[in-house]
Amino acid sequence: MENAFYKTAADIVREGYDKLPDELVSSKHLIYSSPATLSFNSPGAKGFGVKRAGLAVPESVMLLVSPGCCGRNTSLFRSSPEYKDRFFFQLLDDTDIVTGRHLMKINDAVKEMLESLDKRPSAIMICITCVDALLGTDMERICRKVTETHSIPCVACYMYALTREKRLSPMAHVRTSVYSLLEKQKRENRDMNILGFFTSLNDNSEIYTLLKDSGIKNIRELARCQTFDEYKELSKANFNLVLNPEARHAALDMQKRLSIPFIEMLRLYQPDKIHNQYRLLKDAIGASFDDTPYYEETKKIISDFKEKHGKLNFAVGEILNGDAIEIALMLVKEGFRVECVFATVGELNYSFLKKLAELSPDTKIYSNLSPTMLNYAKDDVDCYIGSDCLYYFPDKPGIEWCEDTEPFGYRGVNDLFNALDEALSRK
Amino acid sequence: MKKFLKYLSPFAPDQSGACGVFYEFGGLIVICDAGGCAGNICGFDEPRWFDKKSAVFSAGLRDMDAIMGRDDKLIEKLSKAYEQLGGNFALIVSTPVPAVIATDMKSLERMGEKKLGIPCIALDCTGTHFYDNGEEKAWLRLFETFAKDVLPKVKGKTGILGATPMETGYRNFSSLKALLEQNGYENTLLFSMGTTLDDVRKASECEKNIVVSLSALKTAKYLEEKFGIPYEICYPFIPEEIKDKITGVKSENTLIIRSQIAANEVRKLINDPDADCFTFFGFEKSLSSSNDKALTGEDDLTELLKAKKYDCIIADSEIEKLTRDAGFEGEFIDYPEFAISGRGFDFTQFI
Repeated sequence: MENAFYKTAADIVREGYDKLPDELVSSKHLIYSSPATLSFNSPGAKGFGVKRAGLAVPESVMLLVSPGCCGRNTSLFRSSPEYKDRFFFQLLDDTDIVTGRHLMKINDAVKEMLESLDKRPSAIMICITCVDALLGTDMERICRKVTETHSIPCVACYMYALTREKRLSPMAHVRTSVYSLLEKQKRENRDMNILGFFTSLNDNSEIYTLLKDSGIKNIRELARCQTFDEYKELSKANFNLVLNPEARHAALDMQKRLSIPFIEMLRLYQPDKIHNQYRLLKDAIGASFDDTPYYEETKKIISDFKEKHGKLNFAVGEILNGDAIEIALMLVKEGFRVECVFATVGELNYSFLKKLAELSPDTKIYSNLSPTMLNYAKDDVDCYIGSDCLYYFPDKPGIEWCEDTEPFGYRGVNDLFNALDEALSRK
Repeated sequence: MKKFLKYLSPFAPDQSGACGVFYEFGGLIVICDAGGCAGNICGFDEPRWFDKKSAVFSAGLRDMDAIMGRDDKLIEKLSKAYEQLGGNFALIVSTPVPAVIATDMKSLERMGEKKLGIPCIALDCTGTHFYDNGEEKAWLRLFETFAKDVLPKVKGKTGILGATPMETGYRNFSSLKALLEQNGYENTLLFSMGTTLDDVRKASECEKNIVVSLSALKTAKYLEEKFGIPYEICYPFIPEEIKDKITGVKSENTLIIRSQIAANEVRKLINDPDADCFTFFGFEKSLSSSNDKALTGEDDLTELLKAKKYDCIIADSEIEKLTRDAGFEGEFIDYPEFAISGRGFDFTQFI
């Protein structure tokens, strides 16, 4: 029995991104299914998968057209008030798969859905899965037919797990789908949208104040739209601010269809990088806000935390609101130790890994997905960040840091350290 | 419309049932999928997953693997995992993706055995059938593969067939064992929970088998034929809290909706031979009364409820809204059925 596979940050960087060990590349081994990998295998079980994401369009309903197994875990959230009466299922049998006859029944299923609802929905989201990916189903055509027959907008959502590592992953595609019902209208100079997440940013994020200080009047987010009328106002934006690379395709689509340009920022936890990003944002939109007080406040909170708890040794996981390697890098830069990181190394976070390798070469990098993680023996850490780490270190203090509300900016960092302080104080 | 659900979520599929049977036997279990099926099986349908480690993996199929039919790549990955972790056997469970591309599961089995040198079992699941279908295949293959030797009978030794968490709603071996003892069953072996592969190898030592799920009936018949082990069909796993709720029910017309053997046991407990038993899952005519039915879906149940007036329904509460909308006005007694709602008796969903 082999021990859990890991490489140090320095070892990985020495070999280079093109020579990542097989155990750190998910397509080169079986994928271990443990509670720490649930978000990879079944993103909808916790947080947002395609099904839940598709229903981000206010007052919409979803028809899942698939074998029963694909909708099995839907009962986890189907009973919650926000999803009540919003999920319907058209189940495929073996004959459907062989003949494709299920496609002829979608219109009837939509008719039954509409008849069963007290209120007419804003749109029908039709979610299809790997089966239709392999059958080569033209769902766009079927959606057009539904719209013609029932006079209702209809949008396809592709829950194609088979394509999850493609450039346009299912989660990137569904982000495009949920904005696809917007129609071009006159843009307002002082309106903007924040794109990237299916829940809103934390209300306390300084980004709202900074943007308002720059003269922005309306900052809209999909997750804050309660009605379809509010949703339609998203197309008034003068620009989109994209905070998650998975929303880039949606922003490009909105740029093309609605002539709304976009600016990209990343969710970061390194205060100096957040400061730098705000400087770039200021330049891009010609604003004159000052984020220095927030920066200073965050530096003080981190310093106070360090003084109170000392030079802690962390484990950082990847099931959290952020990038595991970037958070590890922040911790090291702020004077903490990071014993181990559970992460998927990709093009984006490799640049953080390179810096981490310089500052903390011995930090171990594990992949949650490696079969050898069955034999993971706990590293010696003081505390953890990440829901996957809770599985590995149930007896250590730590935080899951994957609430539905999205942390962002300096206040995200403050909240992270405050939550850690609370967890450590409870110990 | 058939196969259309507006009240219920889809039921536990065949691949979940197949995995549940093999979960505790120390094999390498590979779900031949792109990830989502493994996530559903482990994260929802296998309540032991959170606190009982098992080598369950997703094959991590990608579109080109499916299009090109790269079975050799899967066997390479399996072989690498075996080198790293070992294992008593390998189990490959198919899902909709291999079903669509018509993967030759027999061939995968042969390739796996040749490469790894351990027993390899490939189960043909499609995700379009229910858990009992997958369990039925799994039970039979488990005993066909490992129970080879004819051993002397051990006095009083009783095998329990079919008692998976999916069927009983219990994830702890100790909970089931306690219920068995309460019902007067001593010296029992709960195959698939709290037992090892060695216990399966020694299955012929049993003097008797008890079948608690229709999914294990075929296996019980196989063991009777091969080793001369007689079997009895009964369901000793009805929780006390459910018994308390259902005993003393005063009803002219009672309907019980549950898997067939459990439903029959409820009918016995309420002492009402005229009660009707419906099930969404496997149905054996020889175990049924005249009005018992195998349901095909929501529309079917709605029609039946409109055709006959019941005073009392004993079923998973997930079904209650459907029954009310179909005109049922009587007493509804909740008896959770894991394969329908994911609710059990000695755990709560952990997500």
